[in-house]
Amino acid sequence: MKDFDLKKLERKNIYKLPENMFESMQERVLSEVNDFDLEKLDRKNIYKVSDHLFENVQQNVMKEINADKKAPIFKLNWGYAAAASLALIFGSTFLYNSYSDSNGNQTSTQSLASNDTAPKKESEIAYETLKSDLTSVENNDQTNDDQQTNQQIKTVAYVPEKKETKPQTVKPVSKKTEAQMTEYLDSFSNSEIAELANNSTQDVYLDLYN
Amino acid sequence: MKIKDAEIITLMQDPRTRERGVRALMDAYQSRLYWHIRRIIVDGDLAQDTLQETFIKAYQNFHQFKNDSQLYTWLYRIATNESLQQINKLKRMQKTDEDPEYYMQNLVADNTHSDAEEIQIFLQKAIQSLPEKQKLVFMMRYYDDLPYEEISKIVDMSVGTLKTNYHYAKQKIEEYIKENYEK
Repeated sequence: MKDFDLKKLERKNIYKLPENMFESMQERVLSEVNDFDLEKLDRKNIYKVSDHLFENVQQNVMKEINADKKAPIFKLNWGYAAAASLALIFGSTFLYNSYSDSNGNQTSTQSLASNDTAPKKESEIAYETLKSDLTSVENNDQTNDDQQTNQQIKTVAYVPEKKETKPQTVKPVSKKTEAQMTEYLDSFSNSEIAELANNSTQDVYLDLYN
Repeated sequence: MKIKDAEIITLMQDPRTRERGVRALMDAYQSRLYWHIRRIIVDGDLAQDTLQETFIKAYQNFHQFKNDSQLYTWLYRIATNESLQQINKLKRMQKTDEDPEYYMQNLVADNTHSDAEEIQIFLQKAIQSLPEKQKLVFMMRYYDDLPYEEISKIVDMSVGTLKTNYHYAKQKIEEYIKENYEK
């Protein structure tokens, strides 16, 4: 054994092997794959899932729903918005006009209504009686004079109107008065007539006011 | 479940009890809807947001719910639409040179439990390799065991088309697993 050399030793597998081991192995592997049936496989969920997944989902969903409730979003319909603004403009203009037109009437009707309904206070009644007394005294004092003056005023005022509308026709001087005037003038001398002529302007002026 | 659905509907229809109704609705359907959304979207945070949005939409639009359909069908429809919207947003946001299918499969790997079986991971990756319609049909039939008639109301497809889609989806998944699992 002193001359033992490992290099010279024959390389051998000394372990026992089952007969046709490799052939059967190949067949087994191939058959396993070929006979693979999807239906026989377990239906498993193999993905990782975060902790409290469904709790978080529910919380977030409820948050979103409540936010929607608190702040509802109104979609602006431009057609409706334009129509509404036009209606507002025309409506306010109409109301303003109708109010200004009927303002005077309203006040009078209001006062009438107030007279009809509201009972008068004692002080108001006293003031009204005093006022009516004073006006009646004034009327009594002024009745005759006023009537005359009013009539005069009325006639005076009426005359120029007549003048304006109808030109006043000058009455022709009667022949009798004309003859009297010539007689009267004949009685004056020439120098007296010249003196009268000098003062004629004043006379005419004075005639107007007499 | 049917009696519970009826109760939820009654609560939701009355404005005074609507808040209680939405709580009952969430208690009843949050788990089923979450996993439906999660299988489509894969990402956990995005799936949570989508579930919230689904319930909010259900609350806001409950007047549109017609009693002639099942409540869960209506909810699945909202959840599916919301999920597809999120997926489309994701696809638009991602880089143009990245394959969307590859992106989703990477997302599967990133989101699975550490102790998940390998075959299950392959199954999820295989689902993500499917076209959108086949994916939806397969998931609702395979995981939620929904009848084809109800699925047709959710995705607006005929029962015949749904059966064909499911058959093709299953075939593709099995092929995917055979190809990839032994490597």
